[in-house]
Amino acid sequence: MGKWSPRQFLSNRQQQSYVISLGAFCAGLLVVALACVLMLITIRGLDYFWPRPVQSIQFELPDGTAKQVYAQINERHINSAVESGSEPAFVFRYSDSQHPYGRSLLVEANAVQAISEAHQAADILLHNGTRVFSEPLSIRLPDGQSGELAQYDEVRDTVSAIREQIETVRKERLASVHRELASLDLRQVEKDAPARLRLYADFERWQQEVLRLEAQLADYQLVTRFNNGSEFLIPLDDIDRLSYPGQLDWFGKLGIVGAGVVAFLTDAPKQANTAGGVFPALFGTVLMIFVMTILVTPFGVLAAVYLHEYAPDNHLTSVIRICVSNMAGVPSIVYGVFGLGFFVYLVGGNIDELFFSDALPAPTMGTPGVFWASLTMAILTLPVVIVATEEGLRRVPEGLKSGSYALGATKFETIWHTVLPMASPGIMTGVILAIARAAGEVAPLMLVGAVKFAPNLPFDGEFPYLHLDRQFMHLGVLIYDGAFHSQTDVRSASLMFASCLLLLVVVFVLNVLAVILRRRLRKRYLRGY
Amino acid sequence: MLKLFEREQLNLAKLPEAQTAIEVRDLCLRFGDKHVLHNITMRIPKNRITALIGQSGCGKSTLISCFNRMNDLIDNSVTDGEIIIDGRNINRKKENLSILRSQVGMVFQRPNPFPMSIYDNVCYGLRLQGIKQRRQLDDAVERALIEAALWDEVKDRLFESATTLSGGQQQRLVIARALALKPSILLLDEPTSALDPLTTLIIEELMAELKKRCTIVIVTHNMQQASRVSDYTAFLHQGELVEYSDSDTLFTLPEKKQTEDYITGRYG
Repeated sequence: MGKWSPRQFLSNRQQQSYVISLGAFCAGLLVVALACVLMLITIRGLDYFWPRPVQSIQFELPDGTAKQVYAQINERHINSAVESGSEPAFVFRYSDSQHPYGRSLLVEANAVQAISEAHQAADILLHNGTRVFSEPLSIRLPDGQSGELAQYDEVRDTVSAIREQIETVRKERLASVHRELASLDLRQVEKDAPARLRLYADFERWQQEVLRLEAQLADYQLVTRFNNGSEFLIPLDDIDRLSYPGQLDWFGKLGIVGAGVVAFLTDAPKQANTAGGVFPALFGTVLMIFVMTILVTPFGVLAAVYLHEYAPDNHLTSVIRICVSNMAGVPSIVYGVFGLGFFVYLVGGNIDELFFSDALPAPTMGTPGVFWASLTMAILTLPVVIVATEEGLRRVPEGLKSGSYALGATKFETIWHTVLPMASPGIMTGVILAIARAAGEVAPLMLVGAVKFAPNLPFDGEFPYLHLDRQFMHLGVLIYDGAFHSQTDVRSASLMFASCLLLLVVVFVLNVLAVILRRRLRKRYLRGY
Repeated sequence: MLKLFEREQLNLAKLPEAQTAIEVRDLCLRFGDKHVLHNITMRIPKNRITALIGQSGCGKSTLISCFNRMNDLIDNSVTDGEIIIDGRNINRKKENLSILRSQVGMVFQRPNPFPMSIYDNVCYGLRLQGIKQRRQLDDAVERALIEAALWDEVKDRLFESATTLSGGQQQRLVIARALALKPSILLLDEPTSALDPLTTLIIEELMAELKKRCTIVIVTHNMQQASRVSDYTAFLHQGELVEYSDSDTLFTLPEKKQTEDYITGRYG
């Protein structure tokens, strides 16, 4: 008897079919895993935008006081091991006179006495990102007059007109007075110079105008009532969106989702990144990737061209090649530390000493910022670009190069006119991989410039418009931050999922663009080869 | 009557300078330690087609590559001896390769059009020389394509990719690309070995036409082709020039035994 082997009882064809099935099973598992990831992110991400019905809930607090509130239920019957063993419980967010701007609460299921849909109650989103759940009754107008709810849209228009007026005064009048005052300060004009006094007078006048308009605004209020009967006034100017989720049909809900998506993409984060939009993070991510691409592509291509076309074929070159490949495997946090220690402190610090010495000790370039972050990510993704470019260069037929030389081209001309165009699809492959890698990194970015909250975008109307020395927000960092928010507040958790979805979309869109570009280059330069 | 079919004969050994396109003197070439060409001395006449024949690896492609110094691209190649074209030794150090290679065009075994339009392919060498004016380029492209007998086939699709052409068209495009630079010598390194017989015929007819304008040196494995198209033939064996004479003599009454063996197919 020989050793046990599958040959004894399986035919050749059977053996083969088992190998194929095993392989297909693995491939299938991969697809399922990928689909699960995408589905989870998509469902949880879109959940952030989906309007939830407002419920009327009657429950008892642990101290025995009964409450009747309007609330949005985030989760039902979750097993809350922390607070009550394995008893089912509710997580919801409610508004009442004590907590008008909402409070998240976890209540055991047996403490809840009644739940019913509250069609009359509205979900009122304020400009600062908080929500109020209450029942609108009427509108309070200036001079103590009272208006019907039906007038809501009309009154809103009046309010936004006044708000616009205030902003115009601020932007066009007050800002220019500020600028002129600052320039007087810079020229060290005396405190009681007539020009300065005139500016002060101007400032006073426009400031009064703003105050008057704001007082006018404060007179427009929405009268609402909480579930326990107490009234609550909300200044109309504070209200961002008002909706009755209980009364919406499908189209209405989709409208709310649409408005939510637009606000998510264009607004700044509010309430410490638990509400509002992610525009600065989106902008920061895309800007960082663009600057990185601009830095890494020429550098990587030059290095690859040198290694492939010019470097002598000796040990040193192969050692360099091995180093380049190994660089791709270095943990990304190492690059973060390198970026902080080398670019920020050493290079940035020296630039400050040389060029911005008047501003010291406040650093100008010697502080984490979007440029240093892009540079760090460029170093991190450099090996990817070099390896892919070399692969592209290797695919250029020798015959084409000889053809170019035979027409009198020098080596540089041959590379420029013939080799690089043909290697461009390979270069694009490298750029695609670099983008995917850079968009997903968080750890190194947090060391060299990405922050949880940046007061300014790296781009504004002030010269030089693009401020690459500023810190920036990044979707990855926002997601990381989101994971540490209250576990009971599902809305902020789903903000994290929504950001995650957006990050996926950003990477996907950038990749699709690069793939389209690569396909065009292939068609143009590699057709027939 | 017989004279009509006879080709005019030149004395190759005592070819006057005015009729010499390339003069090779004691040319030796090695790649590292491997000697490829030994003491080759020959004169290639102007406005004639000269064929180089011999076994694979006998050094004929290397020899033809010496005429526009393409061997420089191979790392460890060392060349000794002189090659005189246009009254100057092109093996000297300060020879301007760009100018040399525009004077001495070369066409390779496999058609190698650049991945650009037909027009841009023909312009490639001219643009390298800094010619940018559209009129000048247009004229040169038309002239080169007419000379390469390709104009009628491509005149309506000049701006289509050159890789859409057939193999024979591509090879003629490559010839046109070289002709655009108005070379005095055209080197053809097995130009038809990747082509079918009919296309080969077109290229051969083209060569007969082109020799009015320039000197042609062709490397070929095809004995019939050599005897058909060439005026003079050189037989190389293991890096040495065994026999060099007018094609009729070489193919009918070879002097050396080696040559006879080769052309009758006894080896090689």
